[in-house]
Amino acid sequence: MRDAAFWSLSVLLLGAAAAVVTARSLIRAAFALAGSLLATAALYLLLTSPLLAAVQVLLYTGGVLTLVVFALVVAGANEPAARFRKPLPAGMLALAVFAALASAIGTLPAGPGVGGLESGRDVGLALFGDYLVPFELLSVLLLAAVFGALLLARRERAS
Amino acid sequence: MTAPALLLVASALFSIGLFGVLARRHAIAVLLSIELMFNAVNLAVVTVAWSRGWLAGVVLALFGIAITVAEIAVGLALVLLASRMPGRVLLDELSELDG
Amino acid sequence: MLPLALTVLAGPLGALALIGLVPPLRRSGRPAAFVAIAGTAVALMAAAALAAPFVTAAPPAPAAFELVWMPLGTVPAIPFGLLVDGLSASMAVLVALVALLVQVYSLAYMAGEPPSSLGRYFAYHALFAFAMLGLVLAHNLLQTYVCWELVGLGSYLLIGFWFDRPAAGRAALKAFWTTRLGDVGFALGIVVLWSAAGTFTFAELFAKASSGAIAGGALTLGMLGIYAGAMGKSAQAPLHVWLPDAMEGPTPVSALIHAATMVAAGVYLMIRVAPLLALTPAVAEAVFVIGVATALLGASMALVERDLKRILAHSTVSQLGFMMAAVGSGGAAAAYFHLLTHGFFKALLFLAAGSLIHAFHTNDIFSMGRAVRAMPVTSACFAAGALALAGILPASGFFSKDEVLAAVLAGGHPVGFAILVGTAALTAFYIGRALLIALVGAGSGASREAHDPPPAMTAPMLVLAVPALAFGIAGPTVSRLVAAPEEHAPVVVPILGTLAALGGAAAAWVAFRRGALEIRARGPLAPLIRALERRWYLDAPFEWGYRVLHAGVFRGIAWLDRYVVDGAVNALAWGTWGAAGRLRAIQNGRVQDALYAVAAGLVLLAWLAWGA
Repeated sequence: MRDAAFWSLSVLLLGAAAAVVTARSLIRAAFALAGSLLATAALYLLLTSPLLAAVQVLLYTGGVLTLVVFALVVAGANEPAARFRKPLPAGMLALAVFAALASAIGTLPAGPGVGGLESGRDVGLALFGDYLVPFELLSVLLLAAVFGALLLARRERAS
Repeated sequence: MTAPALLLVASALFSIGLFGVLARRHAIAVLLSIELMFNAVNLAVVTVAWSRGWLAGVVLALFGIAITVAEIAVGLALVLLASRMPGRVLLDELSELDG
Repeated sequence: MLPLALTVLAGPLGALALIGLVPPLRRSGRPAAFVAIAGTAVALMAAAALAAPFVTAAPPAPAAFELVWMPLGTVPAIPFGLLVDGLSASMAVLVALVALLVQVYSLAYMAGEPPSSLGRYFAYHALFAFAMLGLVLAHNLLQTYVCWELVGLGSYLLIGFWFDRPAAGRAALKAFWTTRLGDVGFALGIVVLWSAAGTFTFAELFAKASSGAIAGGALTLGMLGIYAGAMGKSAQAPLHVWLPDAMEGPTPVSALIHAATMVAAGVYLMIRVAPLLALTPAVAEAVFVIGVATALLGASMALVERDLKRILAHSTVSQLGFMMAAVGSGGAAAAYFHLLTHGFFKALLFLAAGSLIHAFHTNDIFSMGRAVRAMPVTSACFAAGALALAGILPASGFFSKDEVLAAVLAGGHPVGFAILVGTAALTAFYIGRALLIALVGAGSGASREAHDPPPAMTAPMLVLAVPALAFGIAGPTVSRLVAAPEEHAPVVVPILGTLAALGGAAAAWVAFRRGALEIRARGPLAPLIRALERRWYLDAPFEWGYRVLHAGVFRGIAWLDRYVVDGAVNALAWGTWGAAGRLRAIQNGRVQDALYAVAAGLVLLAWLAWGA
């Protein structure tokens, strides 16, 4: 049962990803990305971490995708005649990278995972406990990103 | 559903994203492909965490998502900037880094 | 003697160096002319001093000065040297004298040239003088050949002096190519002789040949080659075609090169190797036959010519034939005597012709007329030269021509003798025709504006007139110079000679009175006359041959050079450029391409790390 879900989700995920990189319309690509992100969220569920699944849906799919759609609306999603630039070498290289990665996978145990990642409470405790400093730094990073994005977008309008 | 299988899927997702980064001409298409790659990395991290029971992996994945958000914000702002000039959304045009 | 001999060469060489290496001097015109004239004057004085002892009753032995240049171990060395004997010293005097007179004449004749052009002209004269003197004084065949080629170069440069005239350029090229053809034979002959005898030096060659050390076949072949070179330079048929066209050059040049010196070089060479010629009767026979044919050929073409310079050119061809006929009959002394007198009177005729042309602004004798009245000095000089050419007492030409005829008869060639006597008659006729039409005839009335040229031009003519008329008495001295026994011709020779000359002259006079001297292609003789006018159609084969070579060989070689040789170099450059262009793409500043590199690096590292 779990395996069937896994395989179908994987197919969905990879298919959506393929759609992202090959779509002619960028809006279509953005929605395909949304689909792959949702599939990933479902996989997180299978991987016993509902917290992560929720965050994925909220932040990634909800936030990021909305941003992308807005950007497409503003910047114009006109797609030039040619989608690709040297697709053949790119494809070959991607295949080579996949082969390289796949060959390293054999080192991990093949049995079912241990799991046990459900507890959001434990995650929260870890965040504000062992990983407090990175957490705070992350908030600084986010602040910087907000300001940066505002500045970049704003300057153009002022001139 | 074994760890190796999941990692294989993550690798495939990574490669697909890499293809998009290398081959697409529109800047936003490249950004979307980068998202795919990030996603693949996150999936791999969670897979390993699940297979060993390390909670720290979840924390790492959370951090990854947050960073991705920041990155996409800035990236889109840049693309918006570039789009003010006609044709500059095509990465072929942005070649000032040569030499 | 060596310092004198070196001075002879150093004069013109110094002048050439000065004019050539000091551009302001060359560009200034007249100063360059004076430098050249000074150099030639130095050469003349040195040559006279050199020749003086040989003219006395007790001449010194020939002296050779050698400098071994390339000792090559087992192979015999190539010596560089000067040979001073009666022949070379007297020839040097002739060359230097005529060169000096021509250069002085040129001062006035070429006065209209722009200064830089004039400087170039005199530089060429200095080059020519140096080369010709070097040829005369050479003591071995190799040196002769080098100077031979230099003389040819000088001739080419001077014929084509007015290079903006296409006819001049063509004429210079034709001269160069035709003589080059002979020179190929010359070079081959030298090589054959060297491989058979192991030496280039004249003295050694003569010694080895007379002692029988040189194989007969090789000797004959070598002599044939040498004669081939002489054929080219001395305009023997069929290599005579360049000489009439060479008249495109300035008239003083024609006087110097195509009357007295360069064309004489072939005869001089044959006289120099006369000892070898005596040992190869076959070659001598060929020289004789071709000489007689050439004599007749040249005279025939001069009969119908209208251009004064061309008449003189054909005449030179004919007279050279006379000289060669004498050489071929074993009469080296006679040939040399005629060479000297011809040098004087032909140069005189050319210079006088130059004055006439200058005054009447045309080469056509039928456009001149009554020059006697308008230009007495020039006419007198021309008449003197004509007298000598026709061979009428007491002019020098009479004596030298008779010696030639005597030598031919003594050599056992009665038929040739008869032909040459007839040719002598023709000679008197054609020069008489020219003289009468240009000097005496009514002409076009242009004589009203004509006048004698300035002293710079008349003085050389007058100087030349003296030996032209008086050199006849020097016959015995010349024989002494060439170390040949004095011969006395049978009385029949001068009688026949005089009859022929007077007969020809009389015929010219008669025809002149009848107004029949404008020989046109009419009546029964029309085809013959047309053939004469077209110079026996002999120009055509050479033109055709040159065109074939041009279209085939030259184009082929040019193609090879442009596409194979240059092609290889260009391909290399193009390949480098292409590769560079491709390599440049690595650094094109596009992010995606940089990522390619990153991804490829990742794959490489993975492969290295996990050996997948």
